[in-house]
Amino acid sequence: MKMNTKRIVLIIIAIIAAAGIVFVYNDAFLYDTTIAKVTDVTNEFSHEEEGPNGEGESYYDQMLEVRILNGRHKGDRINLRNTYTSSGVNDERYYKGSRMFVTLNAAGDGGSILGKKRDVYVALFFAAFVLMLVTVSGKHGGIVLVSFIINLILLMSALKVYDTYGNLLKVTMTVMLFFGVLTLIFAGGFHKKTWVAVLSTFVTVFLCFGIYMVTMKTSERIPYEMMDYIVNPKDLSDLFLAGTLMGSLGAVMDVCISISAGISEVVVKTPNISLKAILSSIREMGYDIMGTMINVLFFTYLSGTIPILVLKIKNGYTLYHLIRFQLVFETICFLIGAIGIVLAIPVSGLLSAVFFGKTGKDRRVDISNTGRDEEVTK
Amino acid sequence: MILKLVIILFFLMLFVGADRGLTSFFTLVRTVIAFTVNVYLIAWGLPAIPVTLIISAFLIISVIYGQNGRNAKIHGAAASAALVVVIIMITIGPILHIAGISGYNEIEQYEEISMYLSANVSVSMAAVAVSATVLGVLGAVMDTAVAVSTAVNEVYVNNPSLDRKTLVSSGMAVGKDILGTTVNTLLFAGFGESIMLANLFLKNENTFYEIINSKALFQEVSALFVAVMGCLLVIPLASILTPWFIEKTKKMEEKQNEICDTES
Repeated sequence: MKMNTKRIVLIIIAIIAAAGIVFVYNDAFLYDTTIAKVTDVTNEFSHEEEGPNGEGESYYDQMLEVRILNGRHKGDRINLRNTYTSSGVNDERYYKGSRMFVTLNAAGDGGSILGKKRDVYVALFFAAFVLMLVTVSGKHGGIVLVSFIINLILLMSALKVYDTYGNLLKVTMTVMLFFGVLTLIFAGGFHKKTWVAVLSTFVTVFLCFGIYMVTMKTSERIPYEMMDYIVNPKDLSDLFLAGTLMGSLGAVMDVCISISAGISEVVVKTPNISLKAILSSIREMGYDIMGTMINVLFFTYLSGTIPILVLKIKNGYTLYHLIRFQLVFETICFLIGAIGIVLAIPVSGLLSAVFFGKTGKDRRVDISNTGRDEEVTK
Repeated sequence: MILKLVIILFFLMLFVGADRGLTSFFTLVRTVIAFTVNVYLIAWGLPAIPVTLIISAFLIISVIYGQNGRNAKIHGAAASAALVVVIIMITIGPILHIAGISGYNEIEQYEEISMYLSANVSVSMAAVAVSATVLGVLGAVMDTAVAVSTAVNEVYVNNPSLDRKTLVSSGMAVGKDILGTTVNTLLFAGFGESIMLANLFLKNENTFYEIINSKALFQEVSALFVAVMGCLLVIPLASILTPWFIEKTKKMEEKQNEICDTES
């Protein structure tokens, strides 16, 4: 019976997803910009240029026959020209069936290409993401999805607030508070372990913030002007700090909820457990989490830089330059996140021990270790 | 600053994890080296996708076996992680290619960087982008795979008489629990990375249509979605493959015991 309802929900979601993709695929009427679909392509080798290391780069001309999908000239067929290269660093290759934005000339019989239409791929990925989430983890997946969407809305509105009122750090701190509390409630429900996780998350992120500030103040200046997507050169250091802390927040929350849930399990199963035993199980859990989590962060942050690294190496940049000016941002984000993960283990462990171990008999044994954290709770 | 942070990280790992913290730190060092080798091999003109497959295989061995030792459950984790890498390469790769994920996006095109770097590099940026996406997935996939396999093995050790079906379903159950937190880790890392871009879109007052069709957004979003999809894919795979490996090793051990018995 239960299996059946799940299957029905799945089928409904699949149908909605499919309908959504079909709609986005044919949504040209929503746009004011002219959209065209490629109906025929002829590629022709044009010439070869020499690159910085002597290799030849091939240039190709594309003759595209396109059909216009919206606006006054809907249904018209025109011819457009495009150039692409074998590396594709600075150009786009079109295939039969590709959809693109174009500007038409006054007569409507020719024009130039503005760019690819990608909304359908975003929709495709989002649909696949939702479907897989619900298939693999059912109701739980739904909760993950809702928390994902709420967090996204929060981030966008926070940036909007910053845009109008300024003071990025205050906005970031507030929104991170919301992020933390909401996400952890979604993950753990209204439970004591959730509050312990919330508290330890904030203590850890605050420690990360402290480490960031101290190392930044005592080191050479970070070359902020080398960052991507700069709008206003004045707020770069704040924006970078906000991004770094936000990046570490997710990983820290992950560790904190795992440890506090684990400790609450242990305490429920063995109510008279000694503090020493609790501490040793924290260590055991910490080992398991630390190594793989740090790897997750490494790949998430650094893999995105591969294309620009390849391009720069090809142009003769040295490893020193790459680390100093290109990788510095991702590396600092990664390192602060990794430090957060490692710090979160003792912080959340000690706080859980304090909160869950209140009834323990042998608590006096290790009181010296936890004294400081008890003050925090008072 | 990087050096200082590395030193802080090293001592924290040593303090919190003792000798196993040290092992983790050296695994990380191996990962960094493999990553650098990957980038340089591609830049020297070797084909990006085969290079990335080989480096991924090395990373799976280095990270999964390096941290957990060699045994049946870990074979399950490694095999499922490798399978996910291949599946993603085959399915997502062509989509990214057609959608045009590679090269400069519309914002970078107007930044200084594109003015003074030569674009005639004769390395296919499309292939590079696909391999970057695959590597981005790898960390989270390995993490999830190990967690699921360890849990399945834990259940098996406590009750070896359980049949394969029960083991598979307990793997799926653990997978669900891990998923929420892993998604959060990926999500917030993604937020942190794209905060600059989001701010730029707001300041430029781009319309929704411009944003949703931009290459810049697609580059950020696809990495996140593909990573989550990789995790989702690895949960059932690890749940199925781990019991299979456990059974296979058990049979092999039994066979060996039989041989020993007959010999003696």
